[in-house]
Amino acid sequence: MSLTDRIARGLEAGWKVTDGATLSQNQTHEADVVIIGTGAGGGTTAEILARAGLSVILVEEGRLYYQKDFKMNELDAYASLYQEGMSRVTSDGAIAILQGRCVGGSTTVNWTSSFRTPEPTLNHWASRFGLDGLSPEAMRPWFDGREQRHNIEPWVTDPNVNNDILRQGCEALGWSWEVIPRNVKGCWNLGYCGVGCPTNAKQGALTTTIPGALDNNARLFHGLRADKLVMKQDRIDHLQASAMAADGVTPSGITVTLKAKHFVVAASAIGSPGLLLRSDIPDPHDRIGKRTFLHPVNATVAEMPHTVEPYYGAPQSIYSDEFNFSQGVEGPAGFKLEVPPLHPAMSAGVVPGHGKQQVNDLSKLPRMNSVIALLRDGFHPDSPGGTVSLRDDGSPILDYPVTDYLWRGLKDAFYKMAEIQFAAGARKVRLMHLDSPWYSSWADAKAGIDRLPMEPHRVRLFTAHQMGGCGMGGDPEESVVNGFGEHHQVPNLSIHDASIFPTSIGANPQLSVYALAARNSTRLAHRLSSS
Amino acid sequence: MSDMIPHSVQTESPTAMDRRSFLRTGLGGAMFLGTVSVTAGLSGCATAPAGRDYPMPGAMDQSYEFRFLTRDDIILFEALLPAIVGPGLTEEPVVRRQQIQSTIERIDAGIHQFGPANQKELRGLFDLLNFGLTRVTVARVWSSWENASTETAQAFLERWRTSGIGLFNNGYIALTKVTNVAFYGHQDHWHLSGYPGPPAFAVDALPQFKNSA
Repeated sequence: MSLTDRIARGLEAGWKVTDGATLSQNQTHEADVVIIGTGAGGGTTAEILARAGLSVILVEEGRLYYQKDFKMNELDAYASLYQEGMSRVTSDGAIAILQGRCVGGSTTVNWTSSFRTPEPTLNHWASRFGLDGLSPEAMRPWFDGREQRHNIEPWVTDPNVNNDILRQGCEALGWSWEVIPRNVKGCWNLGYCGVGCPTNAKQGALTTTIPGALDNNARLFHGLRADKLVMKQDRIDHLQASAMAADGVTPSGITVTLKAKHFVVAASAIGSPGLLLRSDIPDPHDRIGKRTFLHPVNATVAEMPHTVEPYYGAPQSIYSDEFNFSQGVEGPAGFKLEVPPLHPAMSAGVVPGHGKQQVNDLSKLPRMNSVIALLRDGFHPDSPGGTVSLRDDGSPILDYPVTDYLWRGLKDAFYKMAEIQFAAGARKVRLMHLDSPWYSSWADAKAGIDRLPMEPHRVRLFTAHQMGGCGMGGDPEESVVNGFGEHHQVPNLSIHDASIFPTSIGANPQLSVYALAARNSTRLAHRLSSS
Repeated sequence: MSDMIPHSVQTESPTAMDRRSFLRTGLGGAMFLGTVSVTAGLSGCATAPAGRDYPMPGAMDQSYEFRFLTRDDIILFEALLPAIVGPGLTEEPVVRRQQIQSTIERIDAGIHQFGPANQKELRGLFDLLNFGLTRVTVARVWSSWENASTETAQAFLERWRTSGIGLFNNGYIALTKVTNVAFYGHQDHWHLSGYPGPPAFAVDALPQFKNSA
C-alpha cells in the first residue's frame, strides 16, 4: 500500500504529523500561520502558504484516516468520519446534518460533485453584498486553477441506473439535465465515496492539498480540538487546543498552545462561528453565527420495475437545474435535483419506519431509486437562514427554523421529484415523510402531496451543505469578513471556508470553497511574505 | 415517589398541553427531559452505563463493555427491537437472542461516537421512557418494559409516529433510526435489504483487505 497511498508514503518519508492521542504533556508550538480545519478551505490554504515558504501548523479535531481505513463499511465510517458520529442535527432535530470530521473534512466523505459557484449567485453577491471582486469573470481563473488541481471534469463514464433515472425522467418531461463534474482520477466507479474512497481516486484535500502542504514542511496535528483563540490587545496571540483520546470524542486533558503571526479559521459553517463565539472575537454588530445557511434537502424514493443497484457506481453523475434559478434569484425557493447513493445503513436511517413495513420497504433496495432536491436558501427576504450559538459545554449548535418560504419550495420539489420518477417508469413512489404511503401513479402522488402536512419532523429533511455564519461583505455592519476573507476587526485573522458565503450557493459547495480559499490564500501569502 | 414528580408533569399531561407551547422552543423540550432525568435518577432508575455488568443469556460475546446504555436502556431496547425490526429478526431463539444482543451493542457503540451533547438528549429520551410515571403518561405504556409485549411496543411506536406533537415524532425517529441503522447496516443483515456487499473484485484487489481476513 505504501507504494500507492500518498499518505502512507508521506508518513514513511517523515512528514510532521502528530496524533493528539499520543501526547502526554502540555506543549507550545509556533509558526507563521496556524490553520484550524483541514477540509476544502484549510487544505487549500495550507498548501498555498507552505509552498510560499511560510511555516504552517494545521489543526484538525477529527483523526487522520486514509486508504488502510477505507473498507467500504458504513457503520465504521459513519462513526469515525462524520461529525457527532453522523448524529448531528439542527437544534430542534428536524434536519439531519451530514458533515465530515476527519483530516480532509467533508472532502474525504463527499460524493465528489464539483460545481462552479452559479453565476446568478455571484451576481447576487456583487449587487446585494458589495462583492464586485467575485464576479464570474474575476473568479474564472480561480475555478480553472482549482479544477486542474483537483482533477475536476464532467464524468465521462455512463451514469449508474440510479442517476440515469433522473436523466430519463427529465428527458421525458422536457426538463434540462447535465452531467456532473467530479473530482476523481482513475475512479473505479465503485460507489463508496461517502465512506472514504477505498482506491485513492477521489481528489479531495486528503490526497491533494494536505500532502502538498506536508511535503512543504507544514505540520499537522490531528485529534486536536481548537478551543479558543486568545487575543492580546487587538490581535490574536495564540490558539488554545485540547488533545482528544484515541476514541476521538473524549478530551485527554493534554493541552496544546499554538502561537502564530496569523490565524486562518477553516472549521466550517458550524465550527468556525462556534470557535469565534467561544473566543469572544470582537463582533460589534452581532454578526457571528447569523445567516448560517443550509441547502435543506427532501427526498422521494421509487420502486423501479428493474434492477437499480443504487449502492454501486459513481454516486452522483446527473443533475437538473431546471428549477434552480428559473424564477429569478430572488423568486420562490429554487432547487437543484440530484440523486443520492443508497447503502443499507443509510437507507435504513433515511427511510422512516419500523416493523413489517420497514423490512418490506428496505427489501426493495436493489430496485430502489431516490431523487433529492437541494433548496437554495438566503436569497429572499423571507429566507434568513439559521443561527449558530453555543451550548453550555461550548459546542456549536445550529438553530434552523424552516420558514413557510422553504416549505413551499420543499412541497414544489416533492411534486417535481415524484413526477420525474413516474416519468422514468417507477412502479411506486414514496415521499420521505412520516405519513406518506407508496403511491402507484403520478396522479395519486400529486393528490397525496396536496394533502400531506408540510411540518418539521414529519417531513424528513437532510443536508450535507453548511454555509454562512461568518458572512463576507463590503459593509462591516452586516458582515464578519471582507471579500478576501479578512476579518473586519481583527487584523491577523482570516476565514477560509464556506462560512464566509453570504447566502447558500445553489450547488454542492466544495469547488466554491476551493476557489475562494485559493484566491484569498494567494493574497495572504503575498501579504505575509512581504511583511 | 409522587413527591418527586416534577410539577409540570403532575399538573398537565403533555397531550393536554398546548401543542404550540410544547414545541415552540427546543429548550422547553430539553428542560422537560432534563427534569425527568434528574427525577429518574432519584427514583432509582439505573443511571450508570451498564459496562460489562450485563449478562445476556446466550450471547456469544460476553466481553462487550457498554459505555452509554444503562441496564434500563438495554431492557428498553430488548422490548423495542422486536417491534422496530419486526420480522427482520429470526424466530429461532438462540440466534434471535444474539441478533438482539449484538444490535444493542452496536447501538451503544454508535451513541458513544455521538459526543456529549447528543448523548445528553438521548439520555433525556431514554429516562423519559424508563421512568415509570412518564412511561405511563407520555408513552402510554402501562407495564414495565421488561414485561411489555411486542404489541405494546408496536402500539407505542405507532402512537409516537402519528402524533401531532413534533417532540414525539422526533423521539420516534431517534429510536427507530438508531436501531434501524445498527440492524440493517450490519453485514449479518445485509441480505434483508438485498445488498450484496462491496464488489468482490475490489475487495480482492485492494491492499486494505489483504491482512484482515
